Amino acid sequence: MNIPSARLVHLLIGKSILETLLVGGLAVFSFMTILPPYFHGWGEVTSSGISGWVVNNGEPWERVEVQLFVDGNFVTDGIANQLRPDVAAAGWARDPWHGYTFRLTSLSPRYHEARVYAVHDSGAGARKSLQLVGDGIVFFVDENGILSQLPSQ
Amino acid sequence: MKESSPAEVSIGLAGPALSRGLAWWEIASVVTSCLIAEWVALSFAGSSKVITLIPVLLALGLIIFSHRERGEGLRDVGFRTDNLMAAGRLLWLPTVGVVALVIALGWFSSHSLSVAPWRNRFFVLPLWALFQQYVLNGFINRRAQLALGSGLKSIVLVAAIFGALHLPNPLLAILTFVGGLVWATVYQRQPNLFALALSHSVSSIALALTSSPKLLDGLRVGFKYFG
Repeated sequence: MNIPSARLVHLLIGKSILETLLVGGLAVFSFMTILPPYFHGWGEVTSSGISGWVVNNGEPWERVEVQLFVDGNFVTDGIANQLRPDVAAAGWARDPWHGYTFRLTSLSPRYHEARVYAVHDSGAGARKSLQLVGDGIVFFVDENGILSQLPSQ
Repeated sequence: MKESSPAEVSIGLAGPALSRGLAWWEIASVVTSCLIAEWVALSFAGSSKVITLIPVLLALGLIIFSHRERGEGLRDVGFRTDNLMAAGRLLWLPTVGVVALVIALGWFSSHSLSVAPWRNRFFVLPLWALFQQYVLNGFINRRAQLALGSGLKSIVLVAAIFGALHLPNPLLAILTFVGGLVWATVYQRQPNLFALALSHSVSSIALALTSSPKLLDGLRVGFKYFG
């Protein structure tokens, strides 16, 4: 058996680099496909529920599907397609129809945390992913069922 | 002081430690390509066979280049017929044993012998088996012998690699480890890839025909094992 030259080492290094690029490229592609970082939005407490807005900057005209979770449990879902002229005026969206409102009833009187997620389809509907929009919203429900935001929020 | 020429630099690879290290690196590189194809490409690229082919072609390119660099011809690797009968004599008994074991496994797992329908893909199985044996023994076994010498250590290494590449399917990993031990042992005595491919094909077809799909999860390995 012949003694291999340094070219074999060069090939091994080159192959390693190519495979690293392949794995890295696939990781980035998959992340961009399944969890695209294009969703922006915000949510806040109103006296009767949670309101906010969501925009998909990758597809600015899309009306984003949103899901509401309270204390980690799914509550309801909807489409962020309500009028929010302030969002467009502030430059967050190209048109004003990106608002959502969830009415919350029958919550026990205590502190709760709401989280609103943007739903994203990939793989022609084979996969659905959820991405948190804004931050978790801690709120208080009093004996009359009225919601109030924590003073710090 | 005289400067060293590239030719003199390449002589550095002739040192025993460097040569062993290079053989280890070649084995690791090919195994990594297999793992990328099984676990990464399939999981990230899904049904895109082109993406899965990239690591396979990279590994094949390395293997062929390495053969050229080390002056290994087809005959050295095991594409030959002069020792076909000698290799066959070593292989027939273990192969019959494996087939009997597979049938017994199918019988005891479901208390009946369910014969699965013949599939057209079985016709290409000998080619697939030949390719696997070429990579496993024609390359990895030869490099393992460079790294660890002939004998038990290199045989166990080859079998462990073959078994590990069939994870996370536990039963298939065990069966391929056993098969790997037999094929690597025979290859070190009589390097003939055609005989190994025949034994591999017969064992695989017996496994596919007689074992329940539930037992071996459809012979799936890597990311595909999960569905």
